[in-house]
Amino acid sequence: MNFSAACVMGVLLAANGLAQMRTVTLPSKSPVVNVRIVFTAGAVVDPADKPGLAHLTAAMLAGGGTKDLTYKQVVDLMFPMAAALGSQTDQEMTVFSGTTHLDNLAAYYKLVRSMLLDPGWREDDFKRIKDDAINSLRVGLRGNNDEELGKEVLYSALYRGTPYGHYSVGTISAIEKMTLDDLKQFYKQHYTQSNLILGLAGGYSTEFLAQMKKDFAALPAKDETPASAMKPETIDRTRALIVEKNTRSVAYSLGFPIDVKRGDPDYPALLLMQSYLGPHRMSGGRLFQRIREIRGINYGDYAYIEYFPRGMNLMEPSPNLARRSQIFQIWIRPVEPPAAAFTLRLAFFELNNLIKNGIPAEDFNRTKEFLTKYVNVLTKTKNAELGYAIDSLYYGIPGYNSYIKNGIATLTVEQVNVAIRKHLRADRIQIVAVSANAEQLKQQLVGSGPTPIEYNSAKPAEILAEDKLVEKLDLGLRPMDVQIVPVASVFE
Amino acid sequence: MIWKFLLLVLTAGAFVAANAQVKAFPFAYTQQDLPNGLRLVTIPTDSPNLVSIYIVVQTGSRNEVEPGKSGFAHLFEHMMFRGTEKYPPEKYNQILQRAGAASNAFTSDDLTAFYTTFSKEDLAEILAMEADRFQTLKYTQEYFKTETGAVLGEYNKNSSDPEEKLDEVLHDTAFDRHTYKHTTMGFLKDVQDMPNQYDYSLKFFDRYYRPEYTTIVVAGDVDAKQVRALVDKSWGNWKRGNYHPDIPVEPAQQEPRESNIDWPSPTLPLIEIAFHGPAYSDTDKDWAALDALATLAFGRNSDLHEKLVVREQKVDRLVGDMSQSVDPNLFAIEARVKKAEDVSYIRTQILDTIKRFQDELVAAEKLTAVKSRERYGFTMQLDNSQSVAAAVARYVALRRSPDTIDKLYSIYSQLTPEDIRAAARKYLTENNRTIVTLAGPAGGGGK
Repeated sequence: MNFSAACVMGVLLAANGLAQMRTVTLPSKSPVVNVRIVFTAGAVVDPADKPGLAHLTAAMLAGGGTKDLTYKQVVDLMFPMAAALGSQTDQEMTVFSGTTHLDNLAAYYKLVRSMLLDPGWREDDFKRIKDDAINSLRVGLRGNNDEELGKEVLYSALYRGTPYGHYSVGTISAIEKMTLDDLKQFYKQHYTQSNLILGLAGGYSTEFLAQMKKDFAALPAKDETPASAMKPETIDRTRALIVEKNTRSVAYSLGFPIDVKRGDPDYPALLLMQSYLGPHRMSGGRLFQRIREIRGINYGDYAYIEYFPRGMNLMEPSPNLARRSQIFQIWIRPVEPPAAAFTLRLAFFELNNLIKNGIPAEDFNRTKEFLTKYVNVLTKTKNAELGYAIDSLYYGIPGYNSYIKNGIATLTVEQVNVAIRKHLRADRIQIVAVSANAEQLKQQLVGSGPTPIEYNSAKPAEILAEDKLVEKLDLGLRPMDVQIVPVASVFE
Repeated sequence: MIWKFLLLVLTAGAFVAANAQVKAFPFAYTQQDLPNGLRLVTIPTDSPNLVSIYIVVQTGSRNEVEPGKSGFAHLFEHMMFRGTEKYPPEKYNQILQRAGAASNAFTSDDLTAFYTTFSKEDLAEILAMEADRFQTLKYTQEYFKTETGAVLGEYNKNSSDPEEKLDEVLHDTAFDRHTYKHTTMGFLKDVQDMPNQYDYSLKFFDRYYRPEYTTIVVAGDVDAKQVRALVDKSWGNWKRGNYHPDIPVEPAQQEPRESNIDWPSPTLPLIEIAFHGPAYSDTDKDWAALDALATLAFGRNSDLHEKLVVREQKVDRLVGDMSQSVDPNLFAIEARVKKAEDVSYIRTQILDTIKRFQDELVAAEKLTAVKSRERYGFTMQLDNSQSVAAAVARYVALRRSPDTIDKLYSIYSQLTPEDIRAAARKYLTENNRTIVTLAGPAGGGGK
């Protein structure tokens, strides 16, 4: 079947007028089988007063019992197989994924089928899942992970008032009020064949796939929810949000929405820009070099054009986080407070330079070579390859590797620099900082009063001269553009 | 070839019983020693075009024997990216970029590992470049000081996570003399003093970055003969060293210990109960028995997990773990408790569970399920060249050869309920115990 972007975004209709599920398969001789079952129903279809409902529903299915088995029985049965079913909910997609050995495929699938098609909806499971969701916000995000907190607050701030306006896990007060009936209603409405993409990789049989399709045909055919319109961004000038908490250092995320996603003409150019400015967890990026390697300010500094949660634990992005709208983002890892204001100015300085001067020709050629080969690393596991293939179906592009290789093969440095000037900017940026002493940081960020840095070792004259420019760079922030919020109020 | 044994048709849960004699590590590999003591392990896999190299140096925070030098093995991992005359950092990065490589490094108690995954046509260049930095690393005092800033940055990014603090205090409390007293990251005061330790850094390189401490693991779309020729060419002249660290032996603990941590911001209370356990062994049953016990008593399908996490819902995370280390290290149980007032109840529940495993024999079918899980879990992770090399690297740090994997799983397959009980009685004693708790300002809840 030939898929276009349009058919994936809306409801796919077969010739007989019924919605039908889609499948993505990567058959091989491997005895390891990867299963990815995607529903194109994420946080974006949460009811306005129930942010987090899509996430909680998926968590309940993956972490609860079935009609016939308690959760404990499910765990006991999966245990000897070293198997599990995980769930991930983002704005547009919810994915259930797991890996099993071919020895156990039939037994594993029997459990997965029951979990997704005949859920148990038990109150005691629900209470546990709800606690987990609340604690993931209150403790996991707000309490223990300043960097992820900064990233998610950035997304919430940029998409306020749009369909992506809330974090996929929701808010504590909304989760507390949710009932099992809310989840059942969500499941009935959105867990449909029209939203379903069945993904399979490994040494399964054709009969197995046929059975799986037959089983999932028990789901309702269509999701009648009208598609939401993605509103344009609302940010009209650079602004900062400082999340105040008792913490050692200052974590930053900053960015703005871009009108480019996979499949759009400028995507390969911007991906190349990202690989030049700040490839995730790699030492060759410009930001990493200028902030960490030369100046020793922090642990790392990166740039993104696609949503990439959990970056502190992952070397490569998780698939199935496809979105209709993406942002350009710079992630500055925690900085000692005395260097905090300077470091943010340095990131702005680099962004300004990139837009003004573009990527130098020599760096362009090397980055191009990097990207051509690095796509193989991104899809080095079958599980990742399967996930990328599902995303390619969503975006209406060919296989990711060939899409990128072909997309950058003919790119010129001029084209990339034109795309940079078209889509990037150094004003109208949302800054998020997670920091103690927020008022003090605010005073350092507004205006152009110098915020110099002190080093523990001698630096080359060229760097010291650059620092003189950086330390008084105007971020374009007035006092009224900086908002301070206590951490306890975030995602509450 | 690779998947031959795996394609045997088995029923769920019967893996170990039916395959006690089958190799846990299913790949054919070549292991060779160069005259200078460097070891090379080459593992051809069916990953088309991709190659993954892990260079494992058998030095980690365990080797940080001098006071005030905690965290040094990790700092040195960073210094290895500071370049040589032939390949200054900029050039090094450019070559990796041209290769489209994913490259990084990590340090633990017993090892420092440098890894790179890339397309096979770049193998010769990357092996030569790696050989160069291991033999001729050169950095200025200024570069050294700058890099200590990045290490402090790494401490900072970890510091918002209370689990890191819990680990730090647990080891500091449980150990008196052995270097497992400190974490790989090191004590904050030592990290802050790193800029002043340039001379010591040179000494550290001279001691440990030597062929006899180093094993190169190459996995992927490679030919063993070709790899050996490349390694001979660029690594063959590396000079052997002569340093042997005097790692202090931890004396037997004489009485139970406790510590409490006041965490400055809201979080859920944590409790960790640990006991001194044995060193990793592929010949003796104790280590494997405690590793199995950690899962049997505190794993996801344990009775205690069902009681505390699923039924009573007083705990949202319960894990047991036996450290896999060169020297004797800790067997630890950690729980995250939802309400501060339940911490002492949870403590009692964990201690009662240990007592039960000392008094009673675990059901044979439960042990069989754990054995099956271990085998399937290990096998299923070997689905790409990077995972294969990573799995081998972990064992190379312990025994310098992948053959320890099969030996370990052979021991595992022979474990009996009596072995589990005997290990619980031998190691999980009151005098051998350390308990650490952590709580936020309000005591818990996190609001």
